[in-house]
Amino acid sequence: MIPPSLNRLAALAAALALPAAALAQAAAEGRVQLLKALHAPVMNKRYGIVAFGGVLSPFPPVAVVYLEGAFPRTDSPATAQMAQKDLMFVPTLLAVQVGTRVEFPNLDDTYHNIFSYSPAKRFDLGRYRSDERPIPSELFDVAGLVTLRCDIHEHMRALILVLDTPHFVVSDTQGRYRLDGLPAGRYVLKAWLDSKTTLDRQVSLQSGSTLHADFP
Amino acid sequence: MIPPPEPEAAGFSSFRARLLVAMMVLVSAVAGAGLLFAQRSMAASVRRDFRTQFQGELAALHAVQDVRHAVLAERCRALARRPRIHAALEDGALDLLYPSARDELVDAMDGGAAAPEPGAYALHARYYRFLDGKGRVITPPNAKDVGELGSGEESQLSLGALPDSPQTGYITRGQGSAEAVDEVIAMPIVSSENGEVISAIVLGFKPPDLGGAREGAGIMSGIWLGGRLSMPSLPPGAREGLAGEAARAIASADSAEGGYEVGAGGARYLLFCKRLNPGSLFPAAFEVSIYPLADLLARQRLLIWQFSGAAALLLLGAFAASHLLSGRLSRPVERLAVDSEENRSQRYRAEAALESTSRELQRSARFSADASHQLKTPVTVLRAGLEELLAGEYVSAEAREEVSALVHQTFRLAGVIEDLLLLSRMDAGRLQIQFSRLDLAPLIEAWVDDLGALPDALGLRVDADFPPSLWITGEKRYATLILQNLLENARKYNRAGGRIRIAAREEGDWAVLAIGNTGLPVPPEAQEHIFERFHRGAVGENVPGHGIGLNLARELARLHGGDLRLARSDGEWTEFEVRFRLARPDVAGGSA
Repeated sequence: MIPPSLNRLAALAAALALPAAALAQAAAEGRVQLLKALHAPVMNKRYGIVAFGGVLSPFPPVAVVYLEGAFPRTDSPATAQMAQKDLMFVPTLLAVQVGTRVEFPNLDDTYHNIFSYSPAKRFDLGRYRSDERPIPSELFDVAGLVTLRCDIHEHMRALILVLDTPHFVVSDTQGRYRLDGLPAGRYVLKAWLDSKTTLDRQVSLQSGSTLHADFP
Repeated sequence: MIPPPEPEAAGFSSFRARLLVAMMVLVSAVAGAGLLFAQRSMAASVRRDFRTQFQGELAALHAVQDVRHAVLAERCRALARRPRIHAALEDGALDLLYPSARDELVDAMDGGAAAPEPGAYALHARYYRFLDGKGRVITPPNAKDVGELGSGEESQLSLGALPDSPQTGYITRGQGSAEAVDEVIAMPIVSSENGEVISAIVLGFKPPDLGGAREGAGIMSGIWLGGRLSMPSLPPGAREGLAGEAARAIASADSAEGGYEVGAGGARYLLFCKRLNPGSLFPAAFEVSIYPLADLLARQRLLIWQFSGAAALLLLGAFAASHLLSGRLSRPVERLAVDSEENRSQRYRAEAALESTSRELQRSARFSADASHQLKTPVTVLRAGLEELLAGEYVSAEAREEVSALVHQTFRLAGVIEDLLLLSRMDAGRLQIQFSRLDLAPLIEAWVDDLGALPDALGLRVDADFPPSLWITGEKRYATLILQNLLENARKYNRAGGRIRIAAREEGDWAVLAIGNTGLPVPPEAQEHIFERFHRGAVGENVPGHGIGLNLARELARLHGGDLRLARSDGEWTEFEVRFRLARPDVAGGSA
């Protein structure tokens, strides 16, 4: 066998260590009081992002709960997918860790042209169809909220929340969440509700126990 | 005598001339009024047609403009919805605004190139700018990409605030002879996130070339903006004059459409103004359209000439017709005038004759009266002398008989003179009957008695058949005269051994007295003349009489309101009938 590289070794070590670490790590669960879905236009209801009063929010409302802190970056590039299907983004709200490559497969029979002018990520994938290979993707390496649009279908809208943490989860539509594998210690737990609203609270995580934290 | 007036030949001709003049004046007035009215209405209709044509052409142009404008506005609206532009504005990427728009507008811009052919690039923008939240122009990073504008020109694109709806405006570009007006459309960009107007895109277009290509004919259009008129197809001299007129027209009918006739550069134009951007936030601009009136004026001049010619012909015909007609009409009138002139002279002559006859009659009546008076005196003197002679003793018995006959003749002479006197008085109308109640019976009786007393050579028999009294109205003296005349005639013209019959009766209002005799009949041809004066029947010369009696008797009977007529005259019997008015018994008045 070819001697494994240092990276490979490290990854192997991490993989081997993972079950024991999981046992030793903390967890958090709870419920986020979601915002009321107001004035959801029929069109936007279908496409999952409600723009109202300059605020973009997911519909039906969900929250992204994540643990803020200085965590070591994983070297293995993560990937995620945000497809375009039936002239809407699926999912419409995607949370990724910084450094994640997101693929945008086109599952429709028509062209799409995904682009973003958001400060966190400016890109333009150009027009492509479902047979485009490799699947057009983009690396999100700056934390922030990225608004995605389609140049051809002006109503299509999606949000990608790029987070500088590996510990995040999207709640269910009741606002319930559960985060596992958290390190013990004092952190700030945040709940992103819409483009203008992010709640936070101090948490103290104990190894081997599950913290119950509700927002607010 | 009154001289009969001369027939006026001059009068006839003046009548005809007056009729002719009157008819000509009437015909001229009617024809003139009719032609004037027709000309006016024709001119008005030509003018109306002209205006309608102008408005039709203008409406067609406006329809084209509206379509073009709608296309441009739709183009702008599509641009304002572009996701990239929205993304640039909403996602905080203003630096990408103009580059994104450039990509979107790459096929909508003419790139500053001259049009390869007229009408090309009509829908292409020359420049574009975005407005920020306060309506000010967002300065582009590279003006070459978005169409270059001077700072003064660019500032004209700014609005006081962002518009809610598309705005149409006009801005002036260039200087001097290169000055031109551009049409701009400001389209609001509505945020998809909060529904508010976050920006506006302003695109500048070359205004449509309206009729400018057709030099000298048809509609010319220009744009009036801020007191300046931009109409490249019009010579500068005419433009100055027209700008003033347009300003007046715009001021008088603010933003409304109106048609005016104006003069500019020595030519007449029909001018229409129309607000191009009603309700716009940009400064008010007006479309000024002019239509040369040279064609209309030429048509009107032609119309006037045609009408004048028609009027001359019509008047000529009318004059000829009125000449003929007046001649025909005046002919019977002239004949009537001639006839009446003849009648008049005849009447004058008759009147003159009548007058002279009347004068003659009066003279003769006066003469008769004079003569009678002059004659009566000598007859009286003569009779007195003769009677004195009879009374003397130195007259022999034979001579006495002669003298006695002479005395008798003086009585006859006196009677004739009396009758003549009476007639002349009647002729002169100076005889008046003094009516009173009068009984005829005693008069008749008296005469019958007298007749019996006369020495009778004829041996006449007298039958009298009358009531004891017969009251009439009349004057005794003249009634007696009538009776005496009739009875004297009955005696005088009788045959020897003949018969006289006197019968009186009342008949209605009348007392009728019939006096008949057995004298020779009056011949039928003479019967109608026997009452004429101085007529004597074909009787023997030995029968005394002077042809006055019957005439006198009838005149007197008529003066009494009655009459005298010949009732019968044949072989053996001649009868006169006289009638008087019966006096009513209650009428007071005694017999004279």
